[in-house]
Amino acid sequence: MFTTPIKTLALLGLASAAAHAAVVTYNWNITYVNTNPDGLMDRRVIGINGQFPPPAINVTLNDTLVINVVNQISEPTTLHAHGLFQTGNNQMDGPSMVTQCPIPPGANFTYTIPIKQYGTYWIHGHNKGHYVDGLRAPLIIHNPAETYHYDEEYTLAFSDWYHDEHAVLLDEYLSIFNPTGAEPVPKSALINQMLNTQFLFVPGKVYRLRIINMSALAMFHIHIDGHDMDIIEVDGVDVQRTTVKTFPISAAQRYSILVTAKNTTTNNFLIHGDMDPEMFDTVPDTLQMNITGTIIYDAASPLASEELIDWGEFDDAALLTPVVPMATTPADKQISLTASFQVMDDHINKATFNDITYVAPKVPTLYTAVSMGNLSSDPQVYGTYTHPLVLKHNSWVDIIINNNDAGNHPFHLHGHVFQVVGRGDGVYDGSTPYPYFNTTNPLRRDTVLVPSLTNVAIRFQANNPGVWFFHCHIEWHLQAGLATTIIEAPESMSGVLTVDQTHLEHCTDLGLPFSGNAAGNQGLDLTGQNIGPNLLPGKFTSKGIVALFFTVLSAVAGLATIIWYAQDDELVPSEEGKETK
Amino acid sequence: MGSLFSVPIYFVIFRETTEAAVIVSVLLSFLSQVITSDEHMRKRLARQVWAGTALGLLISIAVGAAFIVVWNKYGNNLWAGSEGIWVGVFSLVAVVMITVMGMAMLRTTQIQEKWKVKLSKAMDDENQKGLGNASRRYAMFLLPLITVLREGLEAIVFIGGVTFTTESKSIPLAVVVGLISGFIVGYILYRGGNRMNLHRFFTASTCLLLLLAAGLVARAVASFEAYVWGKLTNAQSDDGGTYDPRYNVWALSCCDPKNNDLGGWQLFNALFGWSNIGSIGSVVCYIAYWLIVIVALVYMKLKHRSVARANALRSVHESSNTTSGEKHSLELEDEKIAPVATPTPAAEATHVQGDAIGQDHPVDLKHI
Repeated sequence: MFTTPIKTLALLGLASAAAHAAVVTYNWNITYVNTNPDGLMDRRVIGINGQFPPPAINVTLNDTLVINVVNQISEPTTLHAHGLFQTGNNQMDGPSMVTQCPIPPGANFTYTIPIKQYGTYWIHGHNKGHYVDGLRAPLIIHNPAETYHYDEEYTLAFSDWYHDEHAVLLDEYLSIFNPTGAEPVPKSALINQMLNTQFLFVPGKVYRLRIINMSALAMFHIHIDGHDMDIIEVDGVDVQRTTVKTFPISAAQRYSILVTAKNTTTNNFLIHGDMDPEMFDTVPDTLQMNITGTIIYDAASPLASEELIDWGEFDDAALLTPVVPMATTPADKQISLTASFQVMDDHINKATFNDITYVAPKVPTLYTAVSMGNLSSDPQVYGTYTHPLVLKHNSWVDIIINNNDAGNHPFHLHGHVFQVVGRGDGVYDGSTPYPYFNTTNPLRRDTVLVPSLTNVAIRFQANNPGVWFFHCHIEWHLQAGLATTIIEAPESMSGVLTVDQTHLEHCTDLGLPFSGNAAGNQGLDLTGQNIGPNLLPGKFTSKGIVALFFTVLSAVAGLATIIWYAQDDELVPSEEGKETK
Repeated sequence: MGSLFSVPIYFVIFRETTEAAVIVSVLLSFLSQVITSDEHMRKRLARQVWAGTALGLLISIAVGAAFIVVWNKYGNNLWAGSEGIWVGVFSLVAVVMITVMGMAMLRTTQIQEKWKVKLSKAMDDENQKGLGNASRRYAMFLLPLITVLREGLEAIVFIGGVTFTTESKSIPLAVVVGLISGFIVGYILYRGGNRMNLHRFFTASTCLLLLLAAGLVARAVASFEAYVWGKLTNAQSDDGGTYDPRYNVWALSCCDPKNNDLGGWQLFNALFGWSNIGSIGSVVCYIAYWLIVIVALVYMKLKHRSVARANALRSVHESSNTTSGEKHSLELEDEKIAPVATPTPAAEATHVQGDAIGQDHPVDLKHI
């Protein structure tokens, strides 16, 4: 199935941008669809308007994107435009119970998003892992004056795929019978949520391939047989053109590459997405770890032979430099977050940042911020388990992310791109100065991979008043609580943000309060807030002391009995047959 | 320390070696007391005793070593998936054997007398039938050989259960030191064995053995539970340290016997079955084991008292009708007693216990 080049749309965008910024409207009924994307199993998925896969969204810089959502599935849901800054528009960001109550089944919600940036993004469900069931699609923002010249473009959205619905797998994942926190292993991989994608290449032309990873878990290593790739964009940030043979892409990240078509049509070539086995707890023999799309020069030509590629090391921050430089400023505030996983006192393996596991509040955190007046700068009002981090307007902030876990984690900050300003080994304990990169123009992106047992420092300016979610983008880990809530410039929110009345009604329809603190109360009274599990005590409880006491007692009694028994008080006949002792 | 020296293996080897050493010392001292005239025959028989003991030890050690080597080479892989079950089963078998032997051991405080009785009967038969009878001629060889073999195979079963959870490198040193300790005890006994010290030694060693056995019960149950939990959670081979929270009574972040850095807790685990993770099952079974031991000991002692009392009454009654030179045996309802020793000038008093020493130490030589 051919993917139509969207050159025409880009031209239209150019024309309309020259004239005026357009309002681009999508009417999305979120529906269930029954289908078999990987050819291995029929299952129920979440699609749009009865179709699967959901269509890509295409807009142009300075447009206004309007998505009229009607929720026609049986669970409340939301949509999050991943990577979009939503400046002054936090109430449209989408994460459930962070910036809105989820849209009740049967209800409407209109996302109105002014587009002030360009690049490769995606849009996906942000409640209960709906995106893993298929509610995801590329969101491409075109720039009438692109930095790089290319003739055509294609979008390749890689994703892992499961056969069971996310809710079923989540029950198995967050269970006392999964004490090691092993994530469900996917059953296959897809490109654009289907198999057998093909991309037409005309000899001599230059193509932009927008690579997106829409996975729940998998990391893909991308390479194209017979062709080099020039990276030109990272998470919506144009970078200096850098040639690579292969690169890894973690969940939620995006890269654009330029590929120059060959001058002959003698062969067709495969573009590979190889899933990294390190991300999976076990790799079953039946799992096909690779997905390929075909670059077609001539439908009749044979496929060129596949190349074996050594994945090697890939350090995005060391390799890639933004085209538009932005100097880095020493931070006013340094926040250290240590991510780890362990069995908590609810006996389920959960994820923590600094020993706190994320639990959603009773009131969406944004609604708390805009309804608490002066108290909105007091982190207490947001509750304990939302792990609130309050930032002053326009302050520069460093977050040092310590990955104290055996797995690799891609961390995503809503509402911003951040500068990647340093990397280190182990947990940064603050006893020595942090070893920042020596650069005046560090890489910027919105989703950064922190490899196992290392740390990464990211930096951004708190210039976007709003409540921004910061979390691992492995969906399982988000559900396990690897998240914090950044309350950015609460003192400035009332002048900048407005929450639509219809959004508040959705809370009421779900039986949730829409104002007040995290418990729905006034002031600092947090009684009734949603409580999460805590770390196991690791000490004796009263039950244990009693048990130990009785075991020791039984042993002492037993030993005493042995000694008593062995005392020589039997009557023993003597040689003469008389009684002797 | 725990990783180079297995304490339970040490104690078992020590005990088995001590018993073997006692047997040898009894035999040798018996020979020197009984065969006072014929130095040549005494030396020949003494050599038989040494040969039999040595061969028995050698075979036991060889079988044990072969078993351990084969087991660790092939058995671990064969039973890797169900290791928990095998550890548990072997541990429970070892528990039964240790408990039975430990308790029986308590009744054999006069082990030397038992052996003297056996030997004098054997010598009597030899004297009566002459030395032409081959089995009689080699009684001094067969006796220690078979007994040592039995002790040795006992030890192997126990070690078999322990090696599942013991690193191979902790076994050799423990075996060697146990052997040496046993030899030393035996030598001391040979030189001037004091019955009272022997009694205290065997009481103390039984206390320790039953403590070990109780700990083994706890470990066996924990092993079974770990197997079941591993299946429930689809555990991979490198997963560990998780437990079933529904049946847990304590879970300490410290004091883990599996943590090789803290040798003390490994020792606690070897001696007492200690684990930083306590389950209802292991605690209840541990307590139940001691309750069974206590009940059994109380029952045995009370029964023995009533039997001994009846026996003493009867012997008082009958002794008025016999001469001191006659041998007589008294049959009791369910126990045999050894015949009174023939009037040989034994240095030690030859008191005879009122009952046989446990079911598998019959008095009659033929039943060894």
